[in-house]
Amino acid sequence: MTRLAFRNLFQSKTRLVISVGGAALALLLILSLDAIFAGVEKQITAYINHSGADIFISQKNVRNMHMASSSLPITFVKTAASVPGVDQVTPIMYLANMVVVGNERNPAYIIGLPENAVMGGPWQVSVGRGNPATGEAVIDRSVAEKSGLSLGDNVEILGMKFKLVGLSEGTASLVNSVAFISFADFVSLRGSQDAVSFLLIKIMPGDSPVDVAARIEAMMPQVTAETTVDFADQEKRVVKDMSTDVVTIMNMIGFLIGLAVMALTVYTATLARRKEFGVLKALGAKNNDLYRAVVAQAFLSVILGFSTGLLFTLLLSWIIPYLGVNLLLEVSITSLIKVGVVSLVIASLSAFLPIRQIAGLDPALVFRGK
Amino acid sequence: MFLAQRNLFHDKTRLALSVGGVALAVMLILILKGFLTGMNRQITSYIEHSPGSIVIAQKGVGNLLGVTSILPSDATAQVDNVNGVDKVIPILSQFVILDLHGKKQPAYMIGYDPDLGGGPWKITEGHEPAANTEMVMDRILAKRHDLKIGDNFAIMGQEFTIVGLSDGTTSWMTSFFFILKPAAELLLRAPGTTSFLFIETETGTNVADVQSRLNELPAINALTKGEMTANDLKLFAKVFSTPLKLMVGIAFLVGTMIVGLIIYTATVERQREYGVIKAIGASNRLLYRVVTAQALVAAIAGALLGVALAYLTAQAIMALRSQFLIMIEPRDILLAFLSGLGMALVAALFPARVIAGLAPAEVFRK
Repeated sequence: MTRLAFRNLFQSKTRLVISVGGAALALLLILSLDAIFAGVEKQITAYINHSGADIFISQKNVRNMHMASSSLPITFVKTAASVPGVDQVTPIMYLANMVVVGNERNPAYIIGLPENAVMGGPWQVSVGRGNPATGEAVIDRSVAEKSGLSLGDNVEILGMKFKLVGLSEGTASLVNSVAFISFADFVSLRGSQDAVSFLLIKIMPGDSPVDVAARIEAMMPQVTAETTVDFADQEKRVVKDMSTDVVTIMNMIGFLIGLAVMALTVYTATLARRKEFGVLKALGAKNNDLYRAVVAQAFLSVILGFSTGLLFTLLLSWIIPYLGVNLLLEVSITSLIKVGVVSLVIASLSAFLPIRQIAGLDPALVFRGK
Repeated sequence: MFLAQRNLFHDKTRLALSVGGVALAVMLILILKGFLTGMNRQITSYIEHSPGSIVIAQKGVGNLLGVTSILPSDATAQVDNVNGVDKVIPILSQFVILDLHGKKQPAYMIGYDPDLGGGPWKITEGHEPAANTEMVMDRILAKRHDLKIGDNFAIMGQEFTIVGLSDGTTSWMTSFFFILKPAAELLLRAPGTTSFLFIETETGTNVADVQSRLNELPAINALTKGEMTANDLKLFAKVFSTPLKLMVGIAFLVGTMIVGLIIYTATVERQREYGVIKAIGASNRLLYRVVTAQALVAAIAGALLGVALAYLTAQAIMALRSQFLIMIEPRDILLAFLSGLGMALVAALFPARVIAGLAPAEVFRK
């Protein structure tokens, strides 16, 4: 019966293309959307994960960088340094602003970096250096390339001109990039001398980040201290919580489309072979055998569709970076499992209609020419 | 044409599937487009309701949303001196992430002066903030999280009391809330800081002239409200347009495939009949017309159903998730209809090949 399923499937090329293609497109819809959001989660946490810090200290109840603002009295630098287990403290300034080149505005997170900062700077500098002094800036390489900038050129950040001294890698996302200027410039532009945004903490070797973070919060009631892992998780949750509803709606649509296409192809394939099924029945084939052929056909096309969809998603994730779009597609295991389950449900449901048809088929009819 | 009708209505299930397929695709296109239109309306609503005609931002900043603008401390005084400026309304604004019921909710905080303006334009309940610990929250955001007037609410470690609920200030990305400007300065530890200035020009002056005079000032950027909304839309479009186009493309392909497949099978099954018709002298063109007519009828019926479905689904989504606004515009309906027709025409190509290759004599030999 599996052979019959194979034959049913491969005999009409057009139908095969449509059924596999349809299933592939529907699954591609779900897969690529998941991949886009997984990619955004990864991009959005790049700075935090590469900062080199073990703990982030922020204003009380501020648990995010993205779309957020934090400010702490500068005196907290000393307080934090005195907490047992804290090895080093690097204060950074942070604001979402623009990197302006001519008429082109690129949204960016601006980081104000102290001189000789041990944490929080660019983690991979492909050209130039990563420690901006007064009047200097480091921006993402892809942003610089897009605007045709090279070292020594001027960029405008926070309304002031800066000289480009370094280009960093991995600091751009679909939405924005990260740019680094000196702490002193940031403070003078922002106008308030006695506030910093975040404190980056490196802990003593052998101590645990969770313990030290708890100690910091106990000794400094006006702050929130999170381990880098937790802080990155909070950041991912912004993306997740904002996108859940949208992703659910899209997944539903993808599922419906996949179901419609599959049901239709399996149904028409059965319909077209009604006579043959009738003959098989007349020859003594049980309904169960015929069902198996139909189910096998549905599963085969869904498996083929799944593979094609996955292939396309991987292809997309490979091509997109070359198109100059800072969009990262990440195919995760969870997403694969989810789409796999969806495909199986689609296959089972789409076999339902033809099964009913076969069950109602009267073997005698086929000989009468119906 | 009678033949087309018969082919189409002969099998009810097939007809339902083909119309349903197109309807689903058209619905998807419409919902996606409506979603985008609704989002655009939501993200520009604050600027559209803000006072004045010109917005002043920090130099290099052209957006209200997405980035933080910080004006030089002497900007207000300088702007006030410019010829043609009648009234200057400062606000201090910042995106914040609220942790509500364990969920991250981005919101846009506006610090303003109720005597000058820039606050909520429609308060459904309660009043504007009068003290540094009072806030006005978006009505829908409050409802979603069971917050009422008189409830306390912590923002960045500071307790606020909800004294008013505003209408028209919601969005699934950017719900607005309003506090006094000094309260916002304290919260951001940025005393005396201003993000934007809304400018009312003197009556009788040319707005463009005032704008260019303002732009001569250092370290600021003067934009008309129209320019600013356009920039915000562009920023959001950049993020959403690529995935959206991808989905619309997929929806179109799927719709085409479904109609194509159904008409194709219907044609293949009736190959003999078509052969006979050919043998008695019907031209290929006539047969193409029959096939195309089938595709068109299925597509038009599907598109109609799709529009109806889109309206129903949109209403359902908005009822269940009030932060979403789905606006289906007449232009989009036309577009969806055209794509339905496009699907039909492309779909008719599949069976046309079968018919063209059909040799009339063959059918008699079988």
